[in-house]
Amino acid sequence: MKNELFIFCIVFIPILGALMLPLVGRFSKSLRNAFSFVFVLSALFFSCLLIPQALSGKSVTFVKSLPLGFNFSLTADALAVFMACTSSLVSSIIIVFSFNYISHYENQDEYYSMVTLFLGAMMGLIFSSNLILLYIFWEITGVTSWRLIGFFRQKQQVLKADKSFLVTVFGALLMLLGFLMIYQQIGSFDLSAIKLAAKTSPVPVLALVLILCGIFSKSATLPFQTWLPDAGVAPSPVTALLHAAVLVKIGVYVFARLFIVTFVVPDFLRILVVIIAALSAIISAGAALLETDLKRIIAYSTISQIGFIFFGFAVGNELAITGALLYILMHGLAKAGLFLCAGIVEQNTKTKDITQLGGLIKTMPVTAISFLFCAFSVMGVPPFGGFFSKYLVFAGSIKAMPFWIVLVYLFGAFLTVIYLFRVFNLVFLGEGHGLSAKEKGPLMIFSVALLAFLSFVGGVLIYYPSLFAKSAAVQMLGLMR
Amino acid sequence: MSHLLILVPFCCVIILNLPIRKVMRSLAPVAAIVLSLLQVVMVLCFDCHFWQTQFGIIGTFFKFNLVVDRLAILMLLCIGIVSFVTAVIARVLIKERKERFDFASLLLISLSALNGIVMVRDIFSLYVFLEIAAVISFILIAFKANLLAYEGAFKYIIFSAIASIFLLCGTSLLLITSGSTDFSLINASLTAQAFSPSIILAVGLFLVGLFIKAGVVPFHWWLPDAYSEAPSPVSVYLAGIVTKAVGVYALIRVAVSVFGMHKSICTVFLLLGAVTIVVGAVAAITQTDFKRMLSYSSISQVGYIILALGSASPLGIAAACFHLFNHAIFKSLLFVNAAAVELQTGTRDMDKVSGLSQRMPITGLTSVLGSLSCAGIPPLAGFWSKLLIVIALLSTGHFVYAVVAVLASVVTLGYFLVMQRKVFFGKISEEFSNIKEAGLGIVVPEIILAAITVGIGIFFPVILNRFILPLGG
Repeated sequence: MKNELFIFCIVFIPILGALMLPLVGRFSKSLRNAFSFVFVLSALFFSCLLIPQALSGKSVTFVKSLPLGFNFSLTADALAVFMACTSSLVSSIIIVFSFNYISHYENQDEYYSMVTLFLGAMMGLIFSSNLILLYIFWEITGVTSWRLIGFFRQKQQVLKADKSFLVTVFGALLMLLGFLMIYQQIGSFDLSAIKLAAKTSPVPVLALVLILCGIFSKSATLPFQTWLPDAGVAPSPVTALLHAAVLVKIGVYVFARLFIVTFVVPDFLRILVVIIAALSAIISAGAALLETDLKRIIAYSTISQIGFIFFGFAVGNELAITGALLYILMHGLAKAGLFLCAGIVEQNTKTKDITQLGGLIKTMPVTAISFLFCAFSVMGVPPFGGFFSKYLVFAGSIKAMPFWIVLVYLFGAFLTVIYLFRVFNLVFLGEGHGLSAKEKGPLMIFSVALLAFLSFVGGVLIYYPSLFAKSAAVQMLGLMR
Repeated sequence: MSHLLILVPFCCVIILNLPIRKVMRSLAPVAAIVLSLLQVVMVLCFDCHFWQTQFGIIGTFFKFNLVVDRLAILMLLCIGIVSFVTAVIARVLIKERKERFDFASLLLISLSALNGIVMVRDIFSLYVFLEIAAVISFILIAFKANLLAYEGAFKYIIFSAIASIFLLCGTSLLLITSGSTDFSLINASLTAQAFSPSIILAVGLFLVGLFIKAGVVPFHWWLPDAYSEAPSPVSVYLAGIVTKAVGVYALIRVAVSVFGMHKSICTVFLLLGAVTIVVGAVAAITQTDFKRMLSYSSISQVGYIILALGSASPLGIAAACFHLFNHAIFKSLLFVNAAAVELQTGTRDMDKVSGLSQRMPITGLTSVLGSLSCAGIPPLAGFWSKLLIVIALLSTGHFVYAVVAVLASVVTLGYFLVMQRKVFFGKISEEFSNIKEAGLGIVVPEIILAAITVGIGIFFPVILNRFILPLGG
């Protein structure tokens, strides 16, 4: 019972809190900021309280039966708890960053309310074990990211916000059709019921493909990737939160939840996912090489890295899944760090064009070093966290996949190194083009440094997260010790 | 006692028009608000004594066969809520005292007619009440008495007259073939002698008449003009409840309890429903007039109701009624938003305004909720009714129609995002930097309607079993 209460706290404290933030904001801005941070932090706190239970290999479920299979059911297994810890950790740091970053813009009430609501919906999505419940939270994250991308309210930003909302809703509706087809066959939206039934009668392939469309649209994978770079018009903490660390992981998470844990997936579909993810990884890495807008480069890099996570999950053995889970964590930390560094650079120099920047390491040493650390982690340089996740994904896949596919992904990893060094070179090294600015905002610098530090420490102390990820992978595959 | 729902508003109008003008003029708007609110309260305590008691003397004078079932209760609730909102915002939006009085009187007559439509159980009384409601609507649309308003009213008169002819012909043919106008008797004789040519003709005529009244494509040409040129409170009233009760509710009632859900009728419903959804939604994208856009959206949403009806399963019928209710709420909300914008900025042209939610936060927020509900974004009410519609379609094997219904939501969301971007979500222009939020008379209805939409969405699991599923019968 205690653990069930924790799940409720994780999901509903941020959601209900988000609704009262605008009211608090009318009286005191700093109180509102503090509340917002506390709500997000409480999600992290309660998620951490669930870790011992998750490590023990058992799961907690709360079910309230409703007619037509619309059960209200929340489940906390190791996968969900791992995901919840990761997302809420990254989100808390990003909230700290926004205290300084957002402080001189309008519509702050809406900003904090939407960010907190987003986190709550994300938590709801992670713990929901009913397709309709999952869909509801999925769409709430879409609505909040629509408001957040359009934060600056200029026509250009609102258009991009509309685009990302429409693309993800289109994908989500296809996914809903897939859900309904499954419902047709099985008569319930409840994941445990579906899992039971799927063993004897496999889910229709068309439904799986439709669900994949939804997943790809949310995770900005080919052919639905275009909204993600465009969404870079949002404020940096938003891009970090939504488009690097948390939102795009929704698709990956749902893939893991449905395609590995719940359904029995035919082999050709796995290969299809591997190929699409490979294309996505290579093409967007190429785009990142050519792009000159700092945030767009990082956005393309996200699309590329998401491909690796899909790869790990689609391979589907214990090693690769452990790697993919670690990848979610390490990439979340490092990519959030990159986006936030980009935010610091952008806010202080007023440009995102990397050809106009240069030599910033002299005036912004902490930002530069943090950027470098995070970039090392994304590249997969040992001993940073990103190395281990990438290594495990490759180690798992080399046994299970044809060699040429692994080579394609290795090429993608190689491109990652090139484009990240290119960015670092152009922005922080070399000659300045007259644009030099000091680092401002102590909380902003603190949060990027913290993310860089975590990326490093996550690698050095890889034992603990990998233990967690491994037990999650074991539980997902249903292997018994 | 359900007779009182028809008689009280009607008598009220007569009393208000007694020759003590001065008192009555200020009393009439209040009477409209109080009566509609009273109706909401009566409906909400559905189990109370009021509905069960027979009112002896009045019953002998008025030989209507009135039946109040769950669907009727739902509609009565809808009528009450929308009339209440209309009456409240009319107090703000209509400035002239005489006009206010006229409006309130007309609203009361219309209220009694709509209540009649919902409760009657014979086809001729239905026709009579439909006509009363239609005549009141002509006057209401032309209320502003300018050229465009006359154009809208004129179109509505013409289309409505054609519909009336169809309905009357259908009624008389049914009377000839079955010897009665009572719903159940007609139904019995229809099942006995299905497919006789005169019955097919009668049913066809009747349905076409109701399609015109409901604004189903391809009979929808009057609707955008009528909605957008009418004064704002009238738009709310027409879009929120009049066409829904006159057209859509009558269609549901007649299709379910008179004609029975015959296969060929269902095919017609499915086809017209799908076409209506798509045509309405696509037409809405290109509109620049706020109310015109909402009118086309309204057409499109009626398509969903008809489509759900076409699935012919109890779940489909329940979903149709549920969507009808939800649509009445969120579309009234959006029309109230449009009224607020028009009141504060003096224009309905979406290209001329921008970023209003910075100055009108409540209107902005409620319009987002209304739009998202209409587009079927969870957890708002519109999502659940659309979901039930799609489930009903899938479970009766209409996969293609289900796909149309689902994917049309993208288009719906598209035009609402265009509206949001142009009107509310953006930078406020210089010209409007000093505008204020509309007064309490508009903001309070907005909040009430938005709260209903959100509330139904969140507490849907609670109401699903108790209220919605039984609607299918």
